Amino acid sequence: MNTPIINIEHIARVYDMGGEKVHALRDVSLNIYPNEYIAIMGPSGSGKSTMMNILGCLDTPSSGIYNFKGLDVKEMDDNDLAEIRNREIGFVFQTFNLLPRASALKNVELPLVYSGVSRSERRDRAIKTLEEVGLGDRMQHKPNELSGGQRQRVAIARALVTKPSIILADEPTGNLDSKTGVEIMRLFQELWKRGNTIIVVTHEEDIARHAHRIVRIRDGKVESDTTNPQSAIA
Amino acid sequence: MKISEFFETTRISFEALSSNKMRSFLTTLGVVIGIFFVVLMGWAINGLDSTLDKTFNAIGTDMLYVDKWNWAGGRNWRNVEARKDITYAQALEFCKRIKSAEVVMPQGRAWGRQVQFKNQLLNGITIMGVPHQYALTPSGNVFQGRFFSQFEDMNSADVAVIGYNVAINLFPDSNSLGKTIKIAGRSFTIIGVIEKRGTFITDFMDNQCYIPLSSFFGIFGTTGRSISIAIKAGSEEQLDEVRSEAVGIMRAVRNTPPGAEDDFAINESQAFREESKTMRIAVYGIGLGLTALSFIVGMIGIMNIMFVTVTERTKEIGIRKALGATRTSILIQFLTEAAALCFTGAVIAFVICSIAIYATVKIFDLAFPPYIPPALLLIATVVSILVGIIAGLIPAMRASRMNTVDALRYE
Ligand SMILES: Nc1ncnc2c1ncn2[C@@H]1O[C@H](COP(=O)(O)OP(=O)(O)OP(=O)(O)O)[C@@H](O)[C@H]1O
Ligand SMILES: [Mg+2]
Repeated sequence: MNTPIINIEHIARVYDMGGEKVHALRDVSLNIYPNEYIAIMGPSGSGKSTMMNILGCLDTPSSGIYNFKGLDVKEMDDNDLAEIRNREIGFVFQTFNLLPRASALKNVELPLVYSGVSRSERRDRAIKTLEEVGLGDRMQHKPNELSGGQRQRVAIARALVTKPSIILADEPTGNLDSKTGVEIMRLFQELWKRGNTIIVVTHEEDIARHAHRIVRIRDGKVESDTTNPQSAIA
Repeated sequence: MKISEFFETTRISFEALSSNKMRSFLTTLGVVIGIFFVVLMGWAINGLDSTLDKTFNAIGTDMLYVDKWNWAGGRNWRNVEARKDITYAQALEFCKRIKSAEVVMPQGRAWGRQVQFKNQLLNGITIMGVPHQYALTPSGNVFQGRFFSQFEDMNSADVAVIGYNVAINLFPDSNSLGKTIKIAGRSFTIIGVIEKRGTFITDFMDNQCYIPLSSFFGIFGTTGRSISIAIKAGSEEQLDEVRSEAVGIMRAVRNTPPGAEDDFAINESQAFREESKTMRIAVYGIGLGLTALSFIVGMIGIMNIMFVTVTERTKEIGIRKALGATRTSILIQFLTEAAALCFTGAVIAFVICSIAIYATVKIFDLAFPPYIPPALLLIATVVSILVGIIAGLIPAMRASRMNTVDALRYE
């Protein structure tokens, strides 16, 4: 098989809560390969978000090995991590996390600002990506002028616009009704088909059904890591 | 940090400010007031300087006046009072002996006199008795008519050249030339008007009337008053030479014992410069003090508001960092915002200042021109931006060091 984008080995993450240690992750190992579509499942508090934060280089593990495209993340400084986040990772959050005062277009342009892309190119790329997620007619709208599903599409466009190696979505449908949730999952399906690598955190079996590999976490450990026989890969 | 990012950052900063206009305005008030004082101070000093230059030119930068009195203070008043008058004979002797001067002449002066035109009286006028050579000094520039001639001078003619204020007070809407005025009971025909020379320190110069010296003595007599001697050195470079010759001759003429202090004064326009130094220092001191105070107040205000802003926008900071903003980017974003805040304050202050200065000059009819030196605007702008950067530094550092995950979770 080809080389993994992400390789983590025996990762642990301990939060020090004033003397009391919270073991959010204990000994997690995982390889993620290009164009995989993975669902991460598990009960609340099991460490899913903690793991996503580490995978997304927002946070660093307390111990263990993390190689991103063969590079040791432990060796990276703050600026390197910012650059990895900017170029290699696209985040989609449960609460959308859009800038409230900026238009959909400006929100999608934002990661490109930090890659130093020129103004006109930023605009062109953001417009194109918004069209790809079906929001070509909502570009000048502010987040509060958009529906939840539309907001999440803006967030997905923002994650896609830098053409990252991997898209990390932490409960992307958690704040959406089930019908809209299905639409968003269909969009992820679409992106996966176009060759993107996707990791989605969810605790809905319905949602996980879309993925072709399901990693179950419990108490900070991988409980199971299976390919999904009934995945909707069609 | 890339250029395109910087422009975007600046745009974002102004956008953030305008989203909270009232708060931004109140925050910049300290800076507005600080800049206001800087510009006002600059304007006052500039005005003072240009006024002084005018004064020096009116008096003549190459003129010396030998006199019983010192123009500027600093002397023991009793000592000066005790000096013997300079007599006309001494003055004439002095004029005969001095070689280095271009023009030299005695002049008599009678303070606080009355000038009458028909039944109109003007008080507080200084009557100057001068020879015709007075026309050769800067103080003798007429803007209407002419100065009296050697012939009129020698014949004690009843002709007068009047100062600017005398002309506008006695003849507000008619030509003064040819009119007859009464000075100490004697009638004089006006043949010229001296151009306006006075400024706020030298307004007295426009309240003078000039008559031939011989006529002056005819009215006021030669005794019982101190004669002063006007010397035109020819150029500023010659002042030192002429001054030292004048001191020597005057001491000889007045038989001042060797080793004793001069019992007369050599006055020159520089005396006003000395006097103005104190004023300059006062203006600078008050101006800088007030400026510093308002900048400190302004800085505290800006620092405070930047802390509030950073806290309010914790989530935004988290989002930006998640999308790839480096610490430096975040730092510069908030520094730019603080600087933009101050810069806006500076612009507001410039507008207020320009209006205030223009209005002051118009309303009070000041001699100061309503002119703000451009260098001052540049300095004020730079200072305001620096103030913003310094005030914003700690809040911006706090923003840049925020933990991304925690910031994202902030509600
Ligand atoms: N910043 C933090 N400081 C201290 N403890 C934390 C922090 N973040 C998470 N934890 C703890 O780590 C554990 C795992 O949290 P995490 O958010 O990863 O769970 P999760 O699987 O995402 O849960 P959920 O499904 O509710 O989102 C929890 O016990 C949580 O209390
Ligand atoms: Mg979670």
